[in-house]
Amino acid sequence: MAYKAQYSPGETKIAENRRNHMDPDYELKKIREIADEDIVKVLGHRNPGEGYKSVHPPLEEMDFEEDMMKELVEPIPGAAAGNRTRYVQFTDSMYNAPAQPYDRARTYMWRFRAVDTGTLSGRQVVEMRESDLEKVSKTLIETELFDPAKTGIRGATVHGHSLRLDENGMMFDALQRYVYNDETGNISYVKDQVGRPLDEPVNVGEALDDEHLKEITTIYRNDNISMRDDKEAIDVVETIHAARTDGGYGLDVFKNDLKRKLGE
Amino acid sequence: MEEIKAVDVKIFPYRRLKPQTTEIILNSIMEFDGILRVIVNGNSLPKVVGYGPAKGTPVNHEDRKVIKVKEDQVELRVSVGELIITVRYENLDLFLEKLQNLLENTMSFGYEVSTGIFTKTNITVSDYLKLGYGIDNNIDPRLIGMVDPKLKSQDTVKLIGD
Repeated sequence: MAYKAQYSPGETKIAENRRNHMDPDYELKKIREIADEDIVKVLGHRNPGEGYKSVHPPLEEMDFEEDMMKELVEPIPGAAAGNRTRYVQFTDSMYNAPAQPYDRARTYMWRFRAVDTGTLSGRQVVEMRESDLEKVSKTLIETELFDPAKTGIRGATVHGHSLRLDENGMMFDALQRYVYNDETGNISYVKDQVGRPLDEPVNVGEALDDEHLKEITTIYRNDNISMRDDKEAIDVVETIHAARTDGGYGLDVFKNDLKRKLGE
Repeated sequence: MEEIKAVDVKIFPYRRLKPQTTEIILNSIMEFDGILRVIVNGNSLPKVVGYGPAKGTPVNHEDRKVIKVKEDQVELRVSVGELIITVRYENLDLFLEKLQNLLENTMSFGYEVSTGIFTKTNITVSDYLKLGYGIDNNIDPRLIGMVDPKLKSQDTVKLIGD
């Protein structure tokens, strides 16, 4: 019997947005254009034009013991070439950023191959082979997953996702990697993701409208759509909570096992 | 020193304030009667990058600015998120009225103003640790509760006006 992936529970717009992010068949809307070179600059792992450093020879030139798995799994281009593993990390504001860490983690794993992603309360890191990382970063920055004001590309000193916005609607960033231009309303990166100054600012365009963000966000909020309004999502959370509690404490689950150990 | 009745007024804007807005608000507040002290709170902004590959690089944050309050230069070390003003109790009603007017004209977003005690009022163990025993008699009571005792107060406390 073939199952259809459900991605994420819920009946509201928020749940629908989450499913759209995760569903690899759904095409993410591209809303801005950033040059490849600019992405490389913001990531800050290599200089634009510089070759990729490698950590091992291309897989084709290496001798391996016979291994079924190696034949079965096709390596991604970066792995085949022996590129280094590098990272990109995003911080998403609680003020209706389009994505958020858990949503990102699931999205990455549904959509991309060979990712190693880590979820934290306010940030989401993803590690990949460098050349593939650049392609993935381009998708993540150019599409609706990214908002220049409410999402930050931050490698270190990420604090700010839960703080109030500033007067221009920008998320707090202690290192001020990106600045708001009062005249044009555009936001540009003036530092790379760890805070090293860039030679030239990288323009990432205008911030999305607050009302629009309320439509495309994946964050339940009391002043937008509360999670309590989403019966199905609550049902799933409650089911998992009950199952974990019962399982965690071994209620019923380990009863017979325990009895045997006690000699009953 | 004669004892006075004082009360704290907290301004909590729904957005973090720009240095310019802070400057306007502070300067206007300084004109009001009965002001004893003002505490500017917020998330601290580093001067140099603290960790990561860029450690030691200057940050040059736009919000970490020197503003002018009543002819005095004050360096903002935080992204301003909260102002706590201690006011003489007898001036409180008039102060709140004036403050309401001021904030309506300067802030284009929401804010909350609450009255109560938002700073500590007694000398505590951490003050003894920082300043030593016996400070009870020769400390300016206005300084109690003003700063984090771990900080050097000459950086964070500024005496303005008379």
